[in-house]
Amino acid sequence: MTASAERQDGIKHLFIWPAFLIVLVVSLFPLIYALTVSFQTVRIVPPTPPRFVGLDNYAQIASSARFWGAIGTTALITFLSVSAQYVLGFLLALALHHNVPGASLYRVTFLLPMFLAPVGVALIARMVFHPYLGPVNDAMAGLGFAYMPFLTEKWPAIMVLAVIDTWQWTPFVTLLMLAGLQGLPQEVFEAARVDNIGAWRRFWGITFPMLLPLSVAVIFIRLIEGFKIIDTVFVLTGGGPGTATETLTLFAYNEGFKKFNLGLTSALSFLFLIVVIVFGTVYLAAAQRLTRRYA
Amino acid sequence: MPHVELDAITKSFGAVSVLPPLSLSVGKGEFVVLVGPSGCGKTTTLRILAGLETASSGQVRINGRDVTHARPGERNTAMVFQNYALYPHMTVRGNIGYAMKVHGVPRAEIDARVDEAARLLALDPYLDRKPRNLSGGQRQRVAIGRALVRQPEVFLFDEPLSNLDAKLRVEMRTEIKLLQRRLGTTAVYVTHDQVEAMTMADRVVVMRSGRIEQAADPITLYEQPANRFVANFIGSPAMNFFDVRIEDGAVMLGAQRLPLVEADARRLGSRRTVIFGIRPEHMRHSAHEARLTLWPEAIEPLGAQTLLLGRAEGQKITAQVDPRFPASVGQPSTVTIDMTQAHFFDPETEARL
Repeated sequence: MTASAERQDGIKHLFIWPAFLIVLVVSLFPLIYALTVSFQTVRIVPPTPPRFVGLDNYAQIASSARFWGAIGTTALITFLSVSAQYVLGFLLALALHHNVPGASLYRVTFLLPMFLAPVGVALIARMVFHPYLGPVNDAMAGLGFAYMPFLTEKWPAIMVLAVIDTWQWTPFVTLLMLAGLQGLPQEVFEAARVDNIGAWRRFWGITFPMLLPLSVAVIFIRLIEGFKIIDTVFVLTGGGPGTATETLTLFAYNEGFKKFNLGLTSALSFLFLIVVIVFGTVYLAAAQRLTRRYA
Repeated sequence: MPHVELDAITKSFGAVSVLPPLSLSVGKGEFVVLVGPSGCGKTTTLRILAGLETASSGQVRINGRDVTHARPGERNTAMVFQNYALYPHMTVRGNIGYAMKVHGVPRAEIDARVDEAARLLALDPYLDRKPRNLSGGQRQRVAIGRALVRQPEVFLFDEPLSNLDAKLRVEMRTEIKLLQRRLGTTAVYVTHDQVEAMTMADRVVVMRSGRIEQAADPITLYEQPANRFVANFIGSPAMNFFDVRIEDGAVMLGAQRLPLVEADARRLGSRRTVIFGIRPEHMRHSAHEARLTLWPEAIEPLGAQTLLLGRAEGQKITAQVDPRFPASVGQPSTVTIDMTQAHFFDPETEARL
């Protein structure tokens, strides 16, 4: 080895270590710390000394109906909103791709919801869906329907949460699907037109399968993001009525920062991680089979 | 009755006119090649025929039926694209049979027709592969198969061989030609390669800036080019052109005197200046020859013949001579010109005289 090569070899440590240490301090250490905490009872209010309890925290959570309810609620909101986001987002992308009149104006305005802070969106939504002051109930009353308690009953509240998430994140799907559409080879569609294949068949037979891998990725991103929903729920319903709309992250927040039951909360976080990994893996496995078959 | 007719079609994109009024008719079973430099409007013409572009004015007729405003699918044409345009997520079998499947052709018939096409194009071993696992030549054969199973009225080819390597191009060009002849389907073929045009076409249409410069069979095009552009475009290496004077029944290239054939002398009459064209391969002995001295600047031995690239009286010249022709760079060299093969063009209009 020459002298200069040795010196370069030394430099590599200079590049690697800071990054490694940052990852260690910011990411790995808290994770490992949280894992150890999850095997202990740690209470700040009232302060009690940490005590090792093994898997007790996990057992307690797994046997609580509130936890399974939160998983159900989170999965339901995510499933509803991601389905709607994908369908609407893809439709909008198709419309923009085929240059409907005024497409350039829409292109910008459609993206706006994505740039808003979720808390802001939730505050707007709280006014829009307000049982007595909100325009939605005004409109429904105008049409002769009864007032709807949007935020104080379980199913309407879940629907509202799904609608808000859809409103905010459909632009994200639109943006990516539009990029995908614009990347497709034009000649393939011309060939199909010459072969007298109608627009409907062109979409299902060509466009959709060709965009299937991208769709899988977009839905995956939205699923993972969707599972972390907390801000809108916190502002709109606070998880209520009761715990009817409580999502996993909100459950963890309530345990950790209202009851300061940190051991339980850490265990909950790890269970949340496991839930997301399980859902994600099942989804990816299913998607992969689909892709292999059609794309 | 012509099978395919373009009647005074024009096309403009915004303020830019791509095609001035252009008319062309193609007979049934004829193989017509549109050839010209890029941007000459040949592809636009083909796309108007396919319905992928709509003519700004004029009429397109196929089999006597006005299809000017018909959708591409309603014209019963099949098109082969330069970059194949295969459906990437379907197997070869799926690609070839897709249109039939969509149109509700029974399964058994689809299979039979796909198998027949695959046999014809030697694609049998690849039927279950996807396009990304095929070579360029195989992909283009799939695209051709997809076109021919539809049994269309007209085949449209848009530079189908441009993405293939030289050897494959030569093979495929023969295959396409034989296939078209066997099926007897009318074909319109676009290329920028004059060799492809000459070898495949029943009739070659040479285009420049949207206009048809000449439409004729390959030999006529070669022997009697309508103007300097066609003469230059057709033939390889390209024809030599010299600005010359005509004096006493002879071409005067600087101080060199090349006596004219009698018929040419009569035809040129009292003209004083013309463009004199002679192909490099027409520099050999004949009944009526003239001697021309040139100064070679480069010598390219090709085996069967040798090319001398140089200057004669200050004007560029390429001469094709025998392999053992005694010539060396910088030394004057005399070739014999076959004056029966001389071409003359008007210096103003560049039209054939």
